[in-house]
Amino acid sequence: MLGRRSFLTAAGLGALVVALPVPALADAEGLVPNVFVRLDADGRITATAPRPDSGQGVRTVVAMLVAEELAVDLDAVRVEQALGDPVRYGSQAVGNSVTLRQTTEPLRRAAATARCLLVAAAADRWGVPREDCRARNGFVTHPRHRRLPYAALVADAAALDPTTVAVTLTPQAEWRVLGREAGRIDAHDIVTGKARYGIDVARPGLLTAVVARPPWIGAVPDVVDDSAARAVAGVADVVRVAAGIAVVAGSAPAALRGRAALRVTWTGGTPTADSRVWLEDLAAALPATGPAPGPVALEAEYRLPLLAHAPMEPMNATADVRPDSASLWVPTQDPGRLRTLLAQTLGLDPAMIRVEPTLAGGAFGRRIETDYVLEAVACSRAVGAPVKVLWTRDDDTRHDSYRPMSVHRLSAVVDAEGLPTWRSHAVSTWPLTTAPPFANPAVVKGSGDHFPYTVPGAVTVGLTPAPLRTAYWRAVYAGQFGYAEECFLSALGDRGGWDQVALRRRLLPPESRLRRVLDVAANRARWSASRKRARGVACHLDYGSAIAVIAVVELEDGVPRVRKVTAAVDVGPALHPSGVRAQVEGCVMDAVSTVLGARITVRDGQVVQSSFRDYPWARIDRAPDVDVVLVPSDAPIGGLGELAYPPAAAAIASAVAVATGRPVTGMPVNTDVG
Amino acid sequence: MGTHRLRVNGSWHEVDLPDDTPLLWALREDLGLTGPKYGCGVGACGACTSIVDGSAFRPCTTSVADAVGGDITTIEGLSRRGDHPVQRAWVEQDVAQCGYCQPGQIMTTVALLAEHPDPSDEDIDEALRDNVCRCGTYARIRVAVKRAACLARGER
Ligand code: FES
Ligand code: FES
Repeated sequence: MLGRRSFLTAAGLGALVVALPVPALADAEGLVPNVFVRLDADGRITATAPRPDSGQGVRTVVAMLVAEELAVDLDAVRVEQALGDPVRYGSQAVGNSVTLRQTTEPLRRAAATARCLLVAAAADRWGVPREDCRARNGFVTHPRHRRLPYAALVADAAALDPTTVAVTLTPQAEWRVLGREAGRIDAHDIVTGKARYGIDVARPGLLTAVVARPPWIGAVPDVVDDSAARAVAGVADVVRVAAGIAVVAGSAPAALRGRAALRVTWTGGTPTADSRVWLEDLAAALPATGPAPGPVALEAEYRLPLLAHAPMEPMNATADVRPDSASLWVPTQDPGRLRTLLAQTLGLDPAMIRVEPTLAGGAFGRRIETDYVLEAVACSRAVGAPVKVLWTRDDDTRHDSYRPMSVHRLSAVVDAEGLPTWRSHAVSTWPLTTAPPFANPAVVKGSGDHFPYTVPGAVTVGLTPAPLRTAYWRAVYAGQFGYAEECFLSALGDRGGWDQVALRRRLLPPESRLRRVLDVAANRARWSASRKRARGVACHLDYGSAIAVIAVVELEDGVPRVRKVTAAVDVGPALHPSGVRAQVEGCVMDAVSTVLGARITVRDGQVVQSSFRDYPWARIDRAPDVDVVLVPSDAPIGGLGELAYPPAAAAIASAVAVATGRPVTGMPVNTDVG
Repeated sequence: MGTHRLRVNGSWHEVDLPDDTPLLWALREDLGLTGPKYGCGVGACGACTSIVDGSAFRPCTTSVADAVGGDITTIEGLSRRGDHPVQRAWVEQDVAQCGYCQPGQIMTTVALLAEHPDPSDEDIDEALRDNVCRCGTYARIRVAVKRAACLARGER
């Protein structure tokens, strides 16, 4: 039930603010309002986006939810980004595809509350029953009265006791905004160059820092001679930070010149580290699996490389640290946790720390971390001025936290038809050094193991210490486990002479969501009519959503080219269809990139790759046609941002195997991986 | 160190910078034009792509000294209201995800359409091959380029 205290009414200003305390979003105690919809006296509508947007379109969906429930057009809603405040908002992390699942209902309810209050205010003014009034296009209407704009009702609505007003959500059948085609609310700013990302932050007196980072993993500065660096025009200071030596200057090019002039010798670390050796070590550490209940029909091993996040906007953060307060502007996936961490680091009251999440030029899991933010904080503290720390592309590629390498060994027992009746999957990988719970093999297994088919068996995870920083990467361990499992299932199907779709249909429960999307994808891709083409298929069930992906590959001068990818996806109600398709399209390009060429390798202690030149993310000439079918269902809203990556990668790899006649042995296909 | 007179988006600007300073930083820091993005600084991503004398170029690998004498347009100078056909097509097709690469994609497309008003898929591949989109919006970019070509010809 809604209490009076749920509302903050800025009575003097005549604004109506619906601020709901939502337990699911908040920390346990001290429930404070954390979902905001505000109508100003002039009728202007503002919604607060509790979590940041790094390209998934969170802000757009927030606007759509509020527009729907307030019965206005999408462009009537302005979205404000919430500052980092875990007391108020609980978790503000964007990750694990949870954002929409956790924020949809409260936002709708807040906007619906505002609408019902406006309707009640109008009904009271007219002296008519509330049921006879409607909210529509920014007005409250009644058959016998001249319609009233929201602006004329805001003050009255704010004065009502909300506990006396029944709140109803707009039923899905009546949606006019949700589930319809709509563009991103930031689109105009983006195409005009006005959109402001972290790297664009400008402040009076702002300095820029770049950091000299270790030339091999784990090295620390030994002897530092900064005399030449300090002599560079524009250089203000040279500061020791956790990762190395920061050169702080009046401009980015001056900081870069200063860094080039630094003379540092390094010590410690692992100057001979080599990812080929790491891969062999992982293979040697594969855990034993239990005995098979019959003769093993097929066994295969898959080796997966390190991957970097490489968001388009390299790491950066701006900090203005004062003796008793701090302000930050950060492209981050978790502004709330950042504020808590900074309060501890700086010994300040969290209320004195302002963390403003900026737009982020991609994130993919990298911006959950705080290392780059702490660099800006250390520099600002040392020089007593606002400082933006800037990572070059080289820094970003070579000093990322990477997706762990992994080795997978799978085996299966089959029946007379060649259908698997038992399977085992042994995984040897590393934990996530930046996410401590993942030091537990059970947690890694929980993240990776989403095998959806009705085949009993055993999945065993063995972890060995990571030799470099490792982190969340789109789909986390499911990207590795799912890839290996689906590639193996395709190999099993080939062995038994099975049609790959028919095989999967047999292994999926009838009536299941997955079987439904598989059928839709197969139909749409004209599966049964395209037997001569090199095709691959894979399914995935995770985050409360289901997807099936079919890929078609051709050889062009012997080089595999992905021509077409068809995906059918069931995410429950698709609130923002264009956004749903965009996430699938993005995952498909990640799959094309990682299956056909992008990987990180380490030689002589250092990451070899340094830019998009040698970490060859796919370009437009390698982009397949992507056809995404949204399969409606009654399921609750499912997560989506990462869903399509594992099956897209597996479908593409399996299609490449058909095209080339060479079985999949890892990622990227047909490389030595390490 | 020297004074460089730059013509950007139709007006003149003077910047005092070492000759070899990448133009990208002059645009972003001295002129406050942050539409051209820093993505790599070495000409490998296309995020900074702008136009000089009608052709696409990369301010991150062009020095301020070399930029003198050129007529430079950044995304900010493409149109007054953000309604250039390429911009309209981009909004209409809901191309952007994070949006960070899009100023570069758009400026590359503007230069492409100046040369090929009705570009084939091969023309599009050729022109946009060096513009990375880490979010994977390529399929929409392709549609939007063709749509922009229609809009530029006055078709609806
Ligand atoms: S920043 Fe200029 S090409 Fe990458
Ligand atoms: S839209 Fe994010 S990099 Fe292109």
